Amino acid sequence: MATITGLSLSGLGFLARASESQKAQAVKFPAHPGQRLGSGRMMAARPVRAAPDRISEKVEESIKKAEETCSDNPASGECVAAWDEVEELSAAASHARDRKKESDPLENYCKDNPETNECRTYDN
Amino acid sequence: MAACTVYTTTKSLNTKCSISSPSKSHWGYFAQKQRLVIFRTRRRSSLCVITCGAVAGDHDQTVVIGLAADSGCGKSTFMRRLTSVFGGAAEPPKGGNPDSNTLISDTTTVICLDDYHSLDRNGRKEKGVTALDPRANNFDLMCEQVRALKDRIAVEKPIYNHVTGLLDPPELIKPPKILVIEGLHPMFDPRVRELLDFSIYLDISNEVKFAWKIQRDMAERGHSLESIKASIEARKPDFEAFIDPQKQYADAVIEVLPTQLIPDDNEGKILRVRLIQKEGVKHFSPAYLFDEGSTISWIPCGRKLTCSYPGSKFFYGPETYYGHEVSVVEMDGQFDKLDELIYVESHLSNLSTKFYGEVTQQMLQHADFPGSNNGTGLFQTIIGLKIRDLYEQIIASRARTPVGAAQA
Repeated sequence: MATITGLSLSGLGFLARASESQKAQAVKFPAHPGQRLGSGRMMAARPVRAAPDRISEKVEESIKKAEETCSDNPASGECVAAWDEVEELSAAASHARDRKKESDPLENYCKDNPETNECRTYDN
Repeated sequence: MAACTVYTTTKSLNTKCSISSPSKSHWGYFAQKQRLVIFRTRRRSSLCVITCGAVAGDHDQTVVIGLAADSGCGKSTFMRRLTSVFGGAAEPPKGGNPDSNTLISDTTTVICLDDYHSLDRNGRKEKGVTALDPRANNFDLMCEQVRALKDRIAVEKPIYNHVTGLLDPPELIKPPKILVIEGLHPMFDPRVRELLDFSIYLDISNEVKFAWKIQRDMAERGHSLESIKASIEARKPDFEAFIDPQKQYADAVIEVLPTQLIPDDNEGKILRVRLIQKEGVKHFSPAYLFDEGSTISWIPCGRKLTCSYPGSKFFYGPETYYGHEVSVVEMDGQFDKLDELIYVESHLSNLSTKFYGEVTQQMLQHADFPGSNNGTGLFQTIIGLKIRDLYEQIIASRARTPVGAAQA
């Protein structure tokens, strides 16, 4: 079930990217002939990393599930696997939090497009 | 004038090399070089014109470093310090899967061994195994791909998505100069173990692990002290059976224990960190304090240096660890000021620094990383410098046996 959902989501993402790039080609080409076509737009349409809220919900759910599984049989493999899942999701949530803290949307955009007006730096 | 180097290749890379047509126009220019090379080489291998400034070497192998630690034990922090020592920031591959675990910088590529899970999260739940269990990992694929990368062949490595818990389509990994494999089982399989040029194990004691996990998880909704404790307890049997035994194979172990300076400290803020360095490892000479091979106990705070409570205490001595001769440098306490850090650095020897104060500079550069004021940051930085030294020694020893390289 989860795999099917995953496929359809990625399919949608691909479609979105394709339509965005078409739009980009129509807009960018006459304005900046020297630039890589649609590069800015492509970056913006790249699938966004999982928002920490989604992961936080997953952590909560997994803890509840683990507590349920373990109340039936504390020594079983399922109980241990459930708590392992909790640990894995907590680690993922903590990494997502760190990444969010570090990432500055302007800096990310300027890394890929240093020649745009917002990102030009003048040294003299 | 571009500095192009003509390389000879060994049999294993034959299929990858071809003389591309654009070079035909430069044939006249290269012909001279080719003659030079033919006279020099004795090997009967195919000549290959590689584009300027691209690949690191010809018959060199990638230097492979292994890092083992349990989840939530500081692997990511260590990786960032290590890649910083080599220069440049390590980032996920651009334009690929956003949930990729791989980090790439100019010289290093960091691969997370979770990508070699054979069972995804659902599979593990059905079978009732944890990710720590070897049954959930594909060691054959791990060995095959690490060996390929070591032989400078690009691989399509699977991606394990930590958010969805599924195995995503593979990504292309090009062989870097330095490959770091980090995860739960880098030293578990003997075939992978012998591919490693250097291996490190982060050994965090139970009390400290508990304190760190509380700090990490209390911000999450849904977690409570009991759930964190239950999670650690449930994973302990698998951890002790499969992960912990890897420390006997490691060339360097960073052991983190609760402090002995403050009686009954259970906050886990002050740490006692031991750097256990194996003797007799090729290209690795352990760091020491004052006199190599002797036993020293040192409290730097006194007349020359004033520190606030609890200060710091150092120890150095030879020991035996799982049947191996090791040298242990230990730091208990924390650094308050820049002065303390530089003072301590000036008294440690064999740090493989390129200039006086390099350790301090690296620690200050990443003052926001956890552990920057105690032994964890200090020893991680020292190991990073030792790995740089190991890499340079390996490159130098290969350069001493050249296989016909002609420079423009």
